[in-house]
Amino acid sequence: MSEQARARLAQAQGRVVASLVAGADPPEGFDAGRLRVQAAALMAKRRGVVARLRPDAARAAGPALAAEFAAYAAARAVPPPGYRADADDFAAWLRARGLLPDGKPRLWSRLFRRDRG
Amino acid sequence: MPDLGVGIGWRPELDLTVERLAGVGFVEVVAENIDPGGLPESLRLLRARGVPVIPHGVSLGVGGAERPDPDRLARLAACALALDAPLVSEHLAFVRGGGVEAGHLLPVPRTRESLEIVVENVRLAQEALPVPLALENVAAIFGWPDDELTEARFLAEVVERTGVGLLVDVANLYTNQVNLGLSAVDALDTLPLAHLAYVHVAGGHEHHGIWHDTHAAAVPPPVLDLLAELCARTTPPGVLLEWDDDYPSDAVLAGELARIRAATVRAGQPVGGRDE
Repeated sequence: MSEQARARLAQAQGRVVASLVAGADPPEGFDAGRLRVQAAALMAKRRGVVARLRPDAARAAGPALAAEFAAYAAARAVPPPGYRADADDFAAWLRARGLLPDGKPRLWSRLFRRDRG
Repeated sequence: MPDLGVGIGWRPELDLTVERLAGVGFVEVVAENIDPGGLPESLRLLRARGVPVIPHGVSLGVGGAERPDPDRLARLAACALALDAPLVSEHLAFVRGGGVEAGHLLPVPRTRESLEIVVENVRLAQEALPVPLALENVAAIFGWPDDELTEARFLAEVVERTGVGLLVDVANLYTNQVNLGLSAVDALDTLPLAHLAYVHVAGGHEHHGIWHDTHAAAVPPPVLDLLAELCARTTPPGVLLEWDDDYPSDAVLAGELARIRAATVRAGQPVGGRDE
């Protein structure tokens, strides 16, 4: 397999990901409307996973979770490299804005204690 | 491929439910969510009962431009060994680009050029894994402007050239039919079902004419119809229900497994009833 083909694919996939999660323009030839729907679906997926990993943060945001998470995501150039970092960063972002009290996420620890066995 | 029966995706939130549900032939666990050195108690219990547990990866990205990451492969391999799994599964998808994680599975450009890259990636993954690998078709919201092959044709070529197993997600076929106008039945006619490892079934939500494969609702009748269509063509070694959010009662999940069994029986091919 030619390295040039891999480089071409890397560039193309990089443009698609940038448009989906980092606010870049849609690459040429793509259906911009569909990419917007995909971007929203990725955001919802990310928000759902983050809410499961940090129920304390999701509870603190309450009915404003979608709006708060969108604002948090928009304030960063790119998402963190993993869901756990994303969840902790979101909690820290809420805390910095006075929306999440200090302290350990006790419920989270209790819920997952069994799995660490 | 081993005979698996009807199964359900194991999630930490469903651990007691999965242990209690009658007739669960196998489960799947998201490989990224477990530590192979310290398996959840519930999975150890299921293994002790002889229930096969299949590690299901979501972040390898064999459809990516880069060769699969050796650390990710080593982790998948460790999961397979820790669970004594008959196989591992992943997706025909890319999940990152330009050093940025997309956070979910995205459709690969289905060109002849990218086919060569995917084939090499799959071979590298197979070499690094101690058990067979199966690849799943994904749900897509968008397509690439330079697509030359359907996903089914693309997967068929990957299977033919690598011997990789097939994980056919009939809910994803339905998603692509609704969102991209791709015939799900044509896909079933094209996919090399002789290489079928197992089948995924799930529910989703329609929003403004687009089907979102959310895994958080009852399986809709057209998806069960597709399962029956598949079973009319072959006897799947296993069929697994994915439910990932808004978890319902145990009774609802038991009912979903019963609907899945009924759909396979409707086609005259009760799953898990094969003689080995």
